[in-house]
Amino acid sequence: MVMIVGLEEENKEIESNMRELARGLLKEKKVDVIIGYKKGTLPMMSQPIIIDKEEDVDKLLWNNTCYVNLAKYLVPRVAKFVDPEKGNLKVGVVAKGCVGRALIHLASENRINLDEITIIGIPCNGVINRQRIEMEIGEKEILEVTASGNNIVVKGKNFEKEFPFDEYMNELCKQCKIRSPPLVSKFPDLHVGACEEYASIVDEFDDIAEFEAKSPEEKWAYIQDALSVCTRCYACREACPMCYCNLCFVDQNKPIWFGKTTDMPDIIVYHLIRAMHMAGRCVACGACSLVCPMGIDLNFINRKLEKIVKQRFDFTSGLDPDTLPPMTDFKMEDAEEFMLEED
Amino acid sequence: MDEKLLKKSDISKLFNEVKDEYNFYAPKKVRGNISFELISDAKEIELDYLNSKVPPKDVLFPQKETIFEYHYEGKDVIIDERKDLEDKLLIFGVRPCDAYSFKLLEDFFAFGEFQDDVFLKKRENATIIGIGCNEPRQSCFCTSVGGHPYQKESTDVFLSDLGDYYLVETITEKGKDLVKKLSWLTDAKKGDVEKSKALAKQAEESFTTKFNFDLVTKVLDENFENPVWEEIAESCIGCSSCTFLCPTCTCFDVIDENDEYNHRGRRIRIWDTCQSCLYTLETSGHNPRPEKIQRCRNRIMHKFSYYPSNYDRLGCVGCGRCIVACPVNNELRLIIDKILEIEQKEEGEKANA
Amino acid sequence: MPNPYIPILTKVKSIISENKVNDIKTIELQFQKEDDYKSFDYIPGQFAEISIIGKGECPIGIASSPTEEGSIKFTIKKMGTVTSMFHRSDIGDTIGVRGPLGNGWPIEELKGKNIVVIGGGFAFSTLRSLILYILDEKHRKDYGNVTVIYGNRDSGEVLYRDVLEEWEKRDDIDVVLTIDREEEGWTRKVGFVAAIVKEVAPSPDNAVAIICGPPIMIRTAVDELVKIGWKDEQILNSLEMRMKCGIGKCGRCNIGSKYVCIDGPVFSLAELKKMPNEY
Repeated sequence: MVMIVGLEEENKEIESNMRELARGLLKEKKVDVIIGYKKGTLPMMSQPIIIDKEEDVDKLLWNNTCYVNLAKYLVPRVAKFVDPEKGNLKVGVVAKGCVGRALIHLASENRINLDEITIIGIPCNGVINRQRIEMEIGEKEILEVTASGNNIVVKGKNFEKEFPFDEYMNELCKQCKIRSPPLVSKFPDLHVGACEEYASIVDEFDDIAEFEAKSPEEKWAYIQDALSVCTRCYACREACPMCYCNLCFVDQNKPIWFGKTTDMPDIIVYHLIRAMHMAGRCVACGACSLVCPMGIDLNFINRKLEKIVKQRFDFTSGLDPDTLPPMTDFKMEDAEEFMLEED
Repeated sequence: MDEKLLKKSDISKLFNEVKDEYNFYAPKKVRGNISFELISDAKEIELDYLNSKVPPKDVLFPQKETIFEYHYEGKDVIIDERKDLEDKLLIFGVRPCDAYSFKLLEDFFAFGEFQDDVFLKKRENATIIGIGCNEPRQSCFCTSVGGHPYQKESTDVFLSDLGDYYLVETITEKGKDLVKKLSWLTDAKKGDVEKSKALAKQAEESFTTKFNFDLVTKVLDENFENPVWEEIAESCIGCSSCTFLCPTCTCFDVIDENDEYNHRGRRIRIWDTCQSCLYTLETSGHNPRPEKIQRCRNRIMHKFSYYPSNYDRLGCVGCGRCIVACPVNNELRLIIDKILEIEQKEEGEKANA
Repeated sequence: MPNPYIPILTKVKSIISENKVNDIKTIELQFQKEDDYKSFDYIPGQFAEISIIGKGECPIGIASSPTEEGSIKFTIKKMGTVTSMFHRSDIGDTIGVRGPLGNGWPIEELKGKNIVVIGGGFAFSTLRSLILYILDEKHRKDYGNVTVIYGNRDSGEVLYRDVLEEWEKRDDIDVVLTIDREEEGWTRKVGFVAAIVKEVAPSPDNAVAIICGPPIMIRTAVDELVKIGWKDEQILNSLEMRMKCGIGKCGRCNIGSKYVCIDGPVFSLAELKKMPNEY
């Protein structure tokens, strides 16, 4: 068994493995470009970076602030992933489990050709729950965030506070069963690094137990309260790798399905209809909640849907590019009690 | 001495004194975020805050507001104009950058032949109590856009936080009217004024983010077409958090909300953003800014090139909200750096030639 | 000054279907109060934000000329939600009008000049306004020769047949009508607008060209004009952009630091060349 000395050492090890893999891929010209993360300019931030030269490999970073789901940059492809003459370039994607899942799921929806991608697998150790730490620090400026042992150390002017990472990890990461990108054996060339085969996912969905225990009235109040600060900026949608529609239902004006205001009914309709579109598609990366400028946690809604899909169809998104997601497929044995009266 | 002192413990007294006359807005913690809210109980007022997440702009230019209501009588339409625009407002605790944004908004909405009555009436009826910043954040850069952590522009009364109490300075006639009502305020001593000045100086010296915007504007004016925009737009995911949290962004959409069955409804305006592809999409399908690169460029050009050419000042107050908000950390400081690199490259080429 | 977001209420006085496929209608609006009409003091080339209250608002060029007193006209093509609603409206319906907006054709600067009007398809409405204004007996002497080149896909698409026929009869205006392809019974020109411009070869001397139409038509027609010596300053163009407020506040119609709604919609080619290509 490997002794984990501490978060920082663990990140360093992941990072150096990742850099070596990236260097090799570029050197052997197995990929044209690589998208990964680099150091951010704020204490709890990282930045997406696209590199195409070996010497830039050392800019790649791994730590617990690598929030962005990089699959977003492949659907649609950003300009750097397309050569004016050669067409689509071969892209190496630094992928934690949820990024790998997103890529594979997008392939099942024919948005991505897996032949044009190499997954650089990261054995992800979770990302920080940035919003929670910010809220607990309150109205003080965070100037530095480091790791010490298994704690996140947050420093500012006249204060220093330690947060145990196990506790202050993003809630989804705590529950995550797919930390490394799933292996797709049909595509042996698709993977390098820490990718794993997942037979069947067992998930207790403990994280939403508290929500589920509520009465319908309490749930309704909880949802309204959680969403009440939404400004309808749609950052959640823009960050979501599964939100790739050319024209989102909220933007349609023939017909206008519902109001564009920040009145409660309009906010609710936006989030709940969007959630419906995520059923069986969400890869639980948490991008939507992490980007929310108002700090809204949307994960409980997505996780509830994930659970329903899991129970009803025994489906986990992003494991197999050849299995159609349940909401786009029909099987005779599909449960349909919601369509027919029981008696 | 004109300056007064207000004990922090007397905020409720202040609130109770003026609440009947003004709609009183102040910083309040809502789900962990500070925002400027209509206060109904002095206990809600948060005195210990850096700045609000959403700028106080939204008191005068809310995300959603009614332009007019209407109802149908047969084929005739009766328009009901808003009557609440005459209400007196008081906004307590506005940071200097945000107060300065009111000046920008005022000039923008009053610019040209058409006056935006909906905004301007509210602005006219608003009294602003500003407050100096003792601890500017690393993302703050008001001193680079002609501001200052103790700038009093667009405030009527200005507070300096001296610990347990505030130094109260009266800036305008409106402010004088307000302070007159608070007869119980004690007179400040010379030492308090000195202390405030020292804090202002200390704050000014603590800025870590500084820009030379004259140069930025010059480079932008000449570089609408430049490969740097591709670089700038590369990691942007178009989430528009930067524009939604910006104190100087004013773009809006106009929508009719019709209650078909009751033959009535309202025309509203809601915030819109140049970062959305639909913002400029025409019915024909033509879109003048279909690509992310054009939309990213428009935001930067608007603040730092178009604004100076139309209003002779920058369209930015240096609050740093966009720096903090960007979920992919594609923040203004980096963007400005990239823009200035164009100049440096040109300089370098000249030197080599 | 009244709140610029509050529309003046008018009533639909008449509706004319302008083309064979019936997707273009001219709607005539009657003001309810004499003062409202007087305050709507416009010149050709300006536009207004017109709305069916409860359905939405859109910017439409004013098709009538200020010389046609008593009412105003808008020619509306069925395109999106609001324009479709206009097509469903009836005589007597209430229509909100905000305007006049925009700079309009520079009628003062055009005085003493020869005018070449080049139009294509449905974009002829503010050109109709301008020509009627110039031909009015009060104004005709202020302007030089007037040449109109108006092209359409087919004869069924030609707008304003009644006024066109009147103009053809007059000797103080040259009207050249063209359609893209030969058609039985069509006795005027056949060919794209640019080809007709080349054929007519209007002289640039002391002249201004006023062009409205689809982008490809504008581009090709301008090319022909430039070939025969026209300068960018002599060529005027009216732009369309997505707009909401029409008064320079909602933001979306900017081209660089200019707003189409208040700085335009009329720009000279020389001005456009100085602006970024975002329109």
